[in-house]
Amino acid sequence: MKNALKEVVSYRELMGNLIVTELKLRYRESFLGFLWTVLNPLFFLLVLALVFSQIIKFQMDNYTIFLFAGMASYLMIQQTVLIATGSIVNNQGLIKKVSVPKIIFPLANVLARFVDHVALLLILLLFMVYFRMDFNWSLLCLVPLVVLHFLFSLGLSLLASVFYIRVRDVQHILSIGFQAFFYLSPIIYPAGILPEAMQKIFLFNPFYYFIQSFRYPIYHGLFPPLLIWGVTIFLTAVVLGLGLWVFYQKEKDFVFQLS
Amino acid sequence: MKAETEIQSTNAKDPAVKVDSLSIRFMLPQEKGAQTPKKKGLIQKFKKRPKKEFWALEDVEFEVQKGEILGVIGGNGAGKSTLLKIIAGIFPPTRGEVKTRGTVAPLIELGAAFNPELNGLENIYLSGSIYRIPRKVIKESLDDIIDFSGLRQFIRVPVKNYSSGMFMRLAFSLVIFFKPKIVLIDEVFSVGDEAFQQKSFERVLSFRKENASIILVTHDANLITQICDRVLVLSEGKSSFLGGAEDAVRHYRQLIQSGEGLNKEQKPPPEPESSRWGSKEVEIVSVDFADQTGQIKKEFTPGDYFEARIRFESRLQNKAPVFGVAVSTIYKLFIYGPNTLEADFPKDIPSSGVVRFVIPELPLMEGDYLFSAAVYDETLSKAYDHHEQMYHFRVLGDQKKEFGSVKIRSSWKLDHE
Repeated sequence: MKNALKEVVSYRELMGNLIVTELKLRYRESFLGFLWTVLNPLFFLLVLALVFSQIIKFQMDNYTIFLFAGMASYLMIQQTVLIATGSIVNNQGLIKKVSVPKIIFPLANVLARFVDHVALLLILLLFMVYFRMDFNWSLLCLVPLVVLHFLFSLGLSLLASVFYIRVRDVQHILSIGFQAFFYLSPIIYPAGILPEAMQKIFLFNPFYYFIQSFRYPIYHGLFPPLLIWGVTIFLTAVVLGLGLWVFYQKEKDFVFQLS
Repeated sequence: MKAETEIQSTNAKDPAVKVDSLSIRFMLPQEKGAQTPKKKGLIQKFKKRPKKEFWALEDVEFEVQKGEILGVIGGNGAGKSTLLKIIAGIFPPTRGEVKTRGTVAPLIELGAAFNPELNGLENIYLSGSIYRIPRKVIKESLDDIIDFSGLRQFIRVPVKNYSSGMFMRLAFSLVIFFKPKIVLIDEVFSVGDEAFQQKSFERVLSFRKENASIILVTHDANLITQICDRVLVLSEGKSSFLGGAEDAVRHYRQLIQSGEGLNKEQKPPPEPESSRWGSKEVEIVSVDFADQTGQIKKEFTPGDYFEARIRFESRLQNKAPVFGVAVSTIYKLFIYGPNTLEADFPKDIPSSGVVRFVIPELPLMEGDYLFSAAVYDETLSKAYDHHEQMYHFRVLGDQKKEFGSVKIRSSWKLDHE
């Protein structure tokens, strides 16, 4: 484990280059460039905000911030995992021809996404200023929370990228799954609008805890309660541990399975 | 750039590469015979397809010392390239292990790390980081890399617009500039034009002076006998011979011939098709190189006295044979091929003797050269004995800043207008 970490660190320049390359190539021929990364979810957010606050008329203060906080959490995981699923298969040219630790590829993919998402979070802070939200120390929780989101997404990405090598249906299944969970999780609506009995179901939804963890400091201006911390840390540990285990178990076979 | 195990030890006598009972198995998916498409339900799709085992390498063992050049020859599918890929860390071995000491430069799959959308410069940094070369080090030798590749004016062009030759030149230049301890070469000297091949080849050989080890995979038996210290012959994944270059090439040729299944019990195999032929009425017994004192040597410096001593035995009567020689670069660029027909040379020759081909001042520059010697009849149409590029000598550098293979007598002048 220690050796694996050491090895990855020795490839940090490669990871940096892969991330820069991805970001550079993604926007090479476009006028707004990196802005699109932020504009894209932003427009989605504004449309939802308009529909639900003006047309459906949720009775909530600062609905936009409520929505934004939930979406920031969910998109962070969703977009990262969906892209990183292909990280091994898409780099098979390299994997079959040079010797590098394979974990570099999902790692670089996940990191590149997080560059985007941190940018989105900065926009969120601007929104908070505009809506005159309460700024207090609880916002500092976002730092460890983003790290938890990152590690959780990495764990899922590792699992997905391994399964994707053998079964390409994984991408479609994940895509549908994430879409369903977007509506099944209390992102555009508060959990409280459902009857008490149904609210219990949310407790079995892992994304619920991540979404809430962002909402506490951003929307409520509060430190997240211990339950939220406990569950998110537990989920992250389990998913990341499983992801790493499966990945290193299968790593040796990649070069034979890719074709 | 990754080794299976990198050993940290200071013992200078330890081998640079140690390959221990190495085996690798591939599972090849096998198509079942006639299968009606109807039967292929969803469930069957998830069942494991039958696989066939294929051992590409079995129990291969060898060591390569520091500063040694090990050649690997074998027919197609003998496992040569697989062997290099395992040493390079691309394939994990199924059994056994590979230990390497020091950085490995795989001159295989050149340019694999290139991203076609990035320009040459960006790709140098990207590839460099794949081989874990710190950015600082690349920056220092950046000019050398670009100069060596000869692509300075295209260095900011995306490599997708490069010709395949340019692509390979850049890839090659990059890899050889980080002073590796172990170089793996897989038929790589087909890169670029002849001049570039020559240049790269010399560059690789120069690593040896710095005590680097080289593993060279090739089909070229000539190249192998000229530069390899020892040679491993692979046959169907098994090590079939390991030893001196000439013995190994002989072994390899026997292997090919017996493999063809033709008259296995026939007389000894005919002389190798490519490097020696002739009726043997005059036979070249040996060829040596020497200086003016008659001292046999294989290394010269530019401007040295050079002499090739061709020892022969003749059964000819009343016929005048013609002796000829040829010098080419190790990349087979033919430089000069004189013969005795055009020279003042006696018509009668004894039944045995030595013909001396003398160059008073060797006009060759630093590099390795191949030497051919031959005896023909007067009309130059019938070969008595022809040794094609069977000999090798080396010209060492004289530290002057001149480049090329042949020194041409010349001078510089300046006119004022």
